[in-house]
Amino acid sequence: MKNDSRNRPKKVRSSDYACQFREVDSPVHRMGAGWKLLFGMVFCAAAISVREPWSVGVVALVGAVYYGAARLTLWDLWRDVRFFLIQMALIIGLYFYKYGMDGLWPGTRTSIQIVLFFIPGMVFLRTTQTSQLMRGLRKIVPYRLAFLIFICFRFVPVFARDIREIAMAQRIRGARLSPRELLNPRSWRDLFHCLMIPLIIRALKTADEASLSAESRGFGIRPERTYYDPEGVRRVKGEG
Amino acid sequence: MEKNTTFLWNRFTLREALLLGFCATFIVITRAALRMKLGLPGHSMFFMMFFIVLARGCVPKLGASTLVGLIAGVVSFMLGMGKNGPLIMINFVLPALFVDGAAFLYPLLPARLMPCIIVGALASATKAITGVALDFLMGVEEEIIVQHILITTTFSSLFGAAGAALVPSVVRRLQANRLIPSPGDNHR
Repeated sequence: MKNDSRNRPKKVRSSDYACQFREVDSPVHRMGAGWKLLFGMVFCAAAISVREPWSVGVVALVGAVYYGAARLTLWDLWRDVRFFLIQMALIIGLYFYKYGMDGLWPGTRTSIQIVLFFIPGMVFLRTTQTSQLMRGLRKIVPYRLAFLIFICFRFVPVFARDIREIAMAQRIRGARLSPRELLNPRSWRDLFHCLMIPLIIRALKTADEASLSAESRGFGIRPERTYYDPEGVRRVKGEG
Repeated sequence: MEKNTTFLWNRFTLREALLLGFCATFIVITRAALRMKLGLPGHSMFFMMFFIVLARGCVPKLGASTLVGLIAGVVSFMLGMGKNGPLIMINFVLPALFVDGAAFLYPLLPARLMPCIIVGALASATKAITGVALDFLMGVEEEIIVQHILITTTFSSLFGAAGAALVPSVVRRLQANRLIPSPGDNHR
């Protein structure tokens, strides 16, 4: 009986950060990226143009239905819109400062409109996988630029690991790089001299090695995308 | 094979393009790390301006910072970072364009402290353009737009200036060790 609480599935909050992709099946997930963008454009235009309370309400209702149709929870909504709270308070405060009580509605309406304007973008990111975005990107971006974007993706975990390793090594040598120490601006000198410079030197070295490696395979010598074929190289050399 | 074949935009070699791509990677990593730790408005400008100005110091060619901003913007958008959706790309590209323009007019920029601080602050303030456009579209009054933007961009500018201020010492050290080109070298 005691194990019951352990066996019970944990209450999992569905996202760790704002606009994180949510892996569920929903009508919005199944929609094509192009349709989502088209809907987003129409919705954003509506969010900009509404002025009356009833029309703001209608657009907000459509936004809520769209968000719900993507099977996103209230917790997801909170993660997505909490950044706007300061903005909302600021705008309502400015209107209140200028017009008193009469400024409450225009301030609130503008704040709601700004949140509504970003709802389609949030839903798009939460329902579209990065790989799907990459495939779409490959069709519209020249391959050399797309290559750099993929390199950036590929090296995010590599450099994140490098940063951890360099920081650990430098902390052993006495650098003030722990999260608590970094809150003190006097430690920022260590951050740049003990962490950033070694990291940049590593980036320079990696760029040297990767470019030499790619150029030795003939990458980038033709205007169109080419692929390295070891069999073809052997045939040309006359080994095959 | 010819050593310095240009790879991108008839300007950057593959090595330079990769280095700029790595600067964009650093922006993405630091942005991801900071969003977990801090809640201060505009703090992401600190590392963003550092790497955008540094990129121009490492590759002293027109367009270097813009390329970093463009790649970082696209990757941040695809990773779902930031609340602004596709508008996040504009927030990355505009400061980078500003830095490129400033460095075109004053090529010694990445190695000089005061110009870096000024450019860092002004480039960070360009982030306000999207805010102004949005407020304007929503029908906010001009006076309130100005007040709103002043409040929100002050923090961005302060962080941006602080980030850019750290570049000259790093650039000078890299130049002293001949890891990056010095001002005496010929570049566009």
